[in-house]
Amino acid sequence: MGEAIVITSGKGGVGKTTTTANLGTALALQGKKVCLIDTDIGLRNLDVILGLENRIIYDLIDVLEGRCKVHQALVKDKRFDDMLYLLPAAQTADKNDVNPEQMKELVTELKKDYDFVIIDCPAGIEQGYKNAVVGADHAIVVTTPEISAVRDADRIIGLLELEENIDAPRLIINRIRPHLMKAGEALDVNEITTHLSIDLLGIIADDERVISSSNKGEPIVMDPSNTAALGYRNIARRLLGESVPLMSMEKAPPSLFTKIKAVFTK
Amino acid sequence: MKNLVNIKGKNKGLVLYLDDQCAYTDLLAELKAKVSDPALDSDTEVTVHLNKRYCTDSQIKEISDIVSTNPHLKVVATTSDILTVEESDQMILERQSETYVGIVRSGQVVKANGDLVVIGDVNPNGRVEAGGSVYVLGRLKGAAHAGTKGNRDAVIAASWLEATQLKIADELETMTDELSSLSEQPEMECAYLHTNGTIIIDRLQELRFIRPQISTFKGGS
Repeated sequence: MGEAIVITSGKGGVGKTTTTANLGTALALQGKKVCLIDTDIGLRNLDVILGLENRIIYDLIDVLEGRCKVHQALVKDKRFDDMLYLLPAAQTADKNDVNPEQMKELVTELKKDYDFVIIDCPAGIEQGYKNAVVGADHAIVVTTPEISAVRDADRIIGLLELEENIDAPRLIINRIRPHLMKAGEALDVNEITTHLSIDLLGIIADDERVISSSNKGEPIVMDPSNTAALGYRNIARRLLGESVPLMSMEKAPPSLFTKIKAVFTK
Repeated sequence: MKNLVNIKGKNKGLVLYLDDQCAYTDLLAELKAKVSDPALDSDTEVTVHLNKRYCTDSQIKEISDIVSTNPHLKVVATTSDILTVEESDQMILERQSETYVGIVRSGQVVKANGDLVVIGDVNPNGRVEAGGSVYVLGRLKGAAHAGTKGNRDAVIAASWLEATQLKIADELETMTDELSSLSEQPEMECAYLHTNGTIIIDRLQELRFIRPQISTFKGGS
């Protein structure tokens, strides 16, 4: 029996879908069998980020309405053998076409076959949110170092704490720009975690290559040299129970050798 | 025959003591006779004291209407020696203190009949409301309303008072930068309603001089 994790944030555009794609990929790379569910019905994106858009035959609504079996709708990511699957959202329906009971049943069904079922939640706190959280055992709240995103994260955490079946939510701070934090122009990691007072699961640096890789349909986490990728890989390892220290957002101070070199090259 | 309505002069107007053993109709009849006495010909404020008779709101209105048939008399207050069980329970609730342990997050509202003690932060867009005073053992960064039923002596105290809005009874203060008393380090502060109707923020240590009645501690040395 696997575990179901919902990725949510309240506010839109903070990186829920990117986080879902990258965490799922990172867990698959660690040898876990992962199923991603896109619950953003009517505004699906997860398939694009994973580069699986062209291969969607059936979707979530088709499964829930009995037009196909679950395994027929699951899109396999061929890059990861048999480890990563996507259940895409429907584009032609809307969030009210699904009810929480159906979703719960579906997630319970999928948990039998997968180590991790990761649910990508739509923005907002309405029907789409309710459908996404109902089947989850754990919740990850994504926020960015912006006050508006932190406010919405606070609201979502309050709602998640009311859900009896979900463990205490954990936090990912996305799109960190170290120079803004250092200058005090953006909230720093400490401020955000004290304010929200939940466990910090990881931090992800802001990186332009996250955008370009999303556009190419290759999650950034596949590039092991990238700092954002490292952040996602660390989070995946923490989810698997390893204790991984939080990575430093600052550049390493110049070593003695580079200092001496700088003297001579002046 | 015993007087059912006794009129006594007090330093500020008259007090009508109404008998509490006779029939209500007899009382009204005598009251009508007493207030129409032509000797009562100067403008006077009247307090009606019901002794141990329980009167409904409509009966109280009936009595004050009768008093007001004399154009010189004006009823300013109605007092009584008794309470219903319901009123007494309500008063007990309003005197009790309720404790909430946890964080009041955005969109959450925590309400109490009496005093409210929050052990944890009140985050922005979170709201705490109390019939009595609000005490926050943590950072108050949302909105707080003390004295929701009109208690103007209620206070708001917090380990860190950085609220977006403070309301005491029906006076509202939005915490803007212009508010001079909002300090840089709003640690251990309290807000209370000044007699001029504005909300003042002061150090928590001043509370025992400003609202000595809040202290209910007895005993010790």
